[in-house]
Amino acid sequence: MADREEVKAQILELLTKSKKPALYLKDMQKKVDAKPREIKNAANELVRDQKVMFWSSGSSTMYALPERAKDEDKIGV
Amino acid sequence: MPKHDTPLLDQLESGPWPSFVKDLKRQAEKNPACWDILGQMEVSYEDKITHWKHGGIVGVFGYGGGIVGRYSDMPKRFPGVAHFHTVRVNQPSSKFYNTKVLRQIMDIWERRGSGMTNMHGSTGDLVLLGTFTEELEEIFYELTHDVGVDLGGSGGNLRTPSCCLGQARCEWSCYDTAEACHNITMTYQDELHRPAFPYKFKTKFSGCPNDCVAAIARSDFSVIGTWRDDIRIDQAAVKGYVNGEFPANGGAHAGGDWGPFNIKKEVIDLCPTNCMWMEGDELKIDNAECTRCMHCLNVMPRALRPGLDQGASILIGAKAPILDGAQLSTLIVPFIKMDAENEFEEYKEIIEKCWDWWMEEGKNRERIGESMQRIGLPTFLKIMEIDPIPQHVKEPRSNPYVFWKEEEVEGGFERDLAEFRKRHPM
Amino acid sequence: MGFDPANPMKDRITDIGPPHYAQYYPQVIKENKGKWLYHEITQPGVLKHVSESGAECYTVRCASARLISTSLIYDMCDIADEHCDGILRFTTRNNVEFMVDSADKVQPLVDACNAHGMLPVGGTGAGVTNIVHTQGWVHCHTPATDASGPVKAVMDELFDYFTSMTLPAQVRIALACCLNMCGAVHCSDIAILGVHRKPPLIDHDTITSVCELPLAIASCPLGAIKPAKGTNSAGEEVKSVTVNNDRCMFCGNCYTMCPSMPLADPEGDGIAILVGGKISNARSMPKFSKMVIPFLPNTPPRWPETVAAVKNILEVYAKDAKKYERVGEWAERIGWEKFFEKCNIPFTDKSVDDYRLAYDTWRTSTQFKFTSHIK
Repeated sequence: MADREEVKAQILELLTKSKKPALYLKDMQKKVDAKPREIKNAANELVRDQKVMFWSSGSSTMYALPERAKDEDKIGV
Repeated sequence: MPKHDTPLLDQLESGPWPSFVKDLKRQAEKNPACWDILGQMEVSYEDKITHWKHGGIVGVFGYGGGIVGRYSDMPKRFPGVAHFHTVRVNQPSSKFYNTKVLRQIMDIWERRGSGMTNMHGSTGDLVLLGTFTEELEEIFYELTHDVGVDLGGSGGNLRTPSCCLGQARCEWSCYDTAEACHNITMTYQDELHRPAFPYKFKTKFSGCPNDCVAAIARSDFSVIGTWRDDIRIDQAAVKGYVNGEFPANGGAHAGGDWGPFNIKKEVIDLCPTNCMWMEGDELKIDNAECTRCMHCLNVMPRALRPGLDQGASILIGAKAPILDGAQLSTLIVPFIKMDAENEFEEYKEIIEKCWDWWMEEGKNRERIGESMQRIGLPTFLKIMEIDPIPQHVKEPRSNPYVFWKEEEVEGGFERDLAEFRKRHPM
Repeated sequence: MGFDPANPMKDRITDIGPPHYAQYYPQVIKENKGKWLYHEITQPGVLKHVSESGAECYTVRCASARLISTSLIYDMCDIADEHCDGILRFTTRNNVEFMVDSADKVQPLVDACNAHGMLPVGGTGAGVTNIVHTQGWVHCHTPATDASGPVKAVMDELFDYFTSMTLPAQVRIALACCLNMCGAVHCSDIAILGVHRKPPLIDHDTITSVCELPLAIASCPLGAIKPAKGTNSAGEEVKSVTVNNDRCMFCGNCYTMCPSMPLADPEGDGIAILVGGKISNARSMPKFSKMVIPFLPNTPPRWPETVAAVKNILEVYAKDAKKYERVGEWAERIGWEKFFEKCNIPFTDKSVDDYRLAYDTWRTSTQFKFTSHIK
């Protein structure tokens, strides 16, 4: 099982290469080698590091790279 | 001076019920954005359709929830509501406030928002309704620094937990719902503020089976107070009700002409399990047969009280109808202790087991009640390491299609066809 | 001081949670929490709780419109400061409650609420308490009707039931402005529900850039949305979707996922009435509300058809039900065929379930009543 930094690197790679600009945690779980809770913690750490941002519709929440988000209103950037 | 003519909305200023139109007009003197709320609403009243657009991605840095974005589709005509985001402020347990904290929040909101609120939103948050993107961080800073309040949940998070009034002012509450709600909200701040789950997850705390906070209908994880010993009876008070000294049902029927109180008709005959009777002027209850529906306690609050061995039942999976139809929560754990002393340990153990499974197996935008339906109650119980008991069902299944596992069947599923054919030629 | 946009992480405070509730308890509650013996409703809108210590807590309950201004909240604070040592609380049904610790303080408090004009006292016991409702046209992007307007119109008409306790039991009314049911109307005595009746439009100009097409397709519970080529207004062929209108149940889930598939419509949208749900476990188990009127038009500003429908059901129930019987318990006792007959509501195929689990609601018995429905 990957450690925190490895998980973060895998998530970043996924968000860069994925066809979809924004991903659910569930999408990451299919591709990243770690427990759901670990992926969640790593993804949220990436947000704190300002490398990833949340994309929320109000009812569900996704993750995206700031430069790949579609809307002009970006969280915290 | 009104900025827009609102002849349709003006018709809602009259009548005895509090008028939100009157209220908006009054607030508009302080917050001119309210004129644009009225203006855009009037257009909706003419057009019979909403003029709000999807939210997009507004929020405060580092939080995946707590703000719901909203934009007008007529921003030029109604610039005051071009952005109309809501801020969900996590309410204190049971929604008690002192005027100091309320005034502080309202001061911020008059300066930085529309001046309109919902007291409260459906999930339980104090909702500040309508502000601009550039105000969000400022509002969050002032709420956390100056007032000491935090945002609630939205998105695929734990949603803001909520509870009934509980022991603060109710004689029936079987555990301290306010403390449970507060303790659990504090324990799961990360799950509340950052996405963790396939979809939203709500938990609500009701003190008794009257369920004033609608836990069984409105929360994925419903905690409803109950007891497992005998209803406490004050026979003198029973006589008081029979003699008409006390108003039945706490006086709730005082306005109707229902005649004198009749304990047989109003209590004993309405008991769903027929477990009560009178012996002389004493009320008897066969507590082993009682399902704790609360009717008799509701009708004679002075005479009957919940037992002393109190705790809560855990039911899981309620949701509104989207998509497969509405669900009520299903009884999973009949009784746990809800003790503040041990930090609600039993509750936390169960909810974390749920989450661990659901985070792995739940599909996107699938509520846990739907995940349970998909895999079936027997499988869910196995995951939760709970033995099935008759209390889990209203009635046993009527179809014969049991999903037998290979290990449950003598000799397993593997058989030799050649052996079979020796005895059963085609 | 204050927030520094150049340095958003400076002094950032997060995850502090809600303030501790106990600091907001009135003194009488601090001293008697967990010791309450019983309660009585001394007059509509006024509750008296008695502790084993002999202490008493009197609560005056007032309605609010839920959509309320800071000005009104300041007014509430003024009343709380003058009468209640600066404490107040709100209920899950959007009422505001003021508490005092002795009987002589009740009437001045009630008078202050009445004098205000926007704080009617009531909502207790066997009456109609405040309507739980959603946002509607004041904030929501998916509503099929308004929320505050219909609520105001209905409660103006039912006001006497808010300030009195004449009904067989409490009647919980709720409104949700679309089928998402944020207001969780699905377990209410009388539910007012916004419904759509037209399938989504498809905006080929924006759908490719605004929506994740696979998510839009997956959002449909009936698989009515399929990938398809569309033609945008410039005449170009674009990747888009198509909707099988015959399979659409107008739930609006696609619009939630994809803003380029709007389905709201002035003629298509309106209100359905569902009745007979309950939350409480008292006597019968909790139950869902059932659809009895599939559609009433949106008629702002006062929705007269909806108001009349709700009032009619309430008053037939008030006359016919037994003491303690909730609307759903009454309907089940007399039978739904009698419910439709007594309320003079036409029964249509729309009240017969044909979605999932529908069979559970079909009658598999020879037990029925000969009502006017049988010709």
